[in-house]
Amino acid sequence: MTSSNQGFDQELDARGLNCPLPILRAKKSIAALGSGQVLRIIATDPGSVKDFEAFCKQTGNTLVSSGQAEGAYEFLIRKAS
Amino acid sequence: MAKRLQASERRASILAVAKVLFADKGYHGVSVDEIAVRLAVSPAVLYRHFSSKQALYEAVLSEIACTRENYVDVVVRGPDDFGGMLAKMTLMYVESVARDPDYLRMELHAALEGSQAARQFFENRWRPFADYIEFGLGELRKEGHLAGVDARIASLMFQGMVREALYAKIIYQADRFREYSLVDLVKQLVAMFLRAVGLG
Repeated sequence: MTSSNQGFDQELDARGLNCPLPILRAKKSIAALGSGQVLRIIATDPGSVKDFEAFCKQTGNTLVSSGQAEGAYEFLIRKAS
Repeated sequence: MAKRLQASERRASILAVAKVLFADKGYHGVSVDEIAVRLAVSPAVLYRHFSSKQALYEAVLSEIACTRENYVDVVVRGPDDFGGMLAKMTLMYVESVARDPDYLRMELHAALEGSQAARQFFENRWRPFADYIEFGLGELRKEGHLAGVDARIASLMFQGMVREALYAKIIYQADRFREYSLVDLVKQLVAMFLRAVGLG
């Protein structure tokens, strides 16, 4: 399955949530995706950068990109095949 | 004469001694001179590593922050239900505090001393529970699995309960709870909490 034109298939707004909630919600969102689909996550918790790196390492999903803009963090995660 | 240490070893030894003293007497109860005496060095040695007592105190807090609980593992491996996840997070937290009881004493002192930074630090350590309970119970209520529970008050109840268990077992070492291990005590409290909010 391929991602849409905007580069992701589903979006999760985790702004205002602190660890472990962004990870927990991402886990649920990814479970609903098909293999190879991409989830975009927007978060404000500074700890989420390390948390999503660890999350992808442990789950086998791919952290496609990780960045920061306008006071928020953006992560693109591709679900493992 | 004190043994000459590498800079990193000296810094680590200062942090270790300062943590014990701050835990025993609080921030205001300890002077830089006292820490230096305990280390058998001059205060100038301390100031080479930390610009002030405040900087040293913050470095001690920062060391604790570096070893903060990693809940990612719990989320990835853990049960998906609200109660199972809460129990796992709580056990991870209390086991971590039990390994480093000075942390708990510093938290108690910080509550009375009024340092905003320290209070914020300790609040942040409890924050995952407050947020998880408020958000989790809120979602369960929306889904119709729960009624009549104020999620914010429930999170306060939970925090008070776990904190008191930590005090009883770690600070007071109360005879009354001698027969319970900290882990057993916390497991039972979490189960009671879940029943109290209607999830048991």
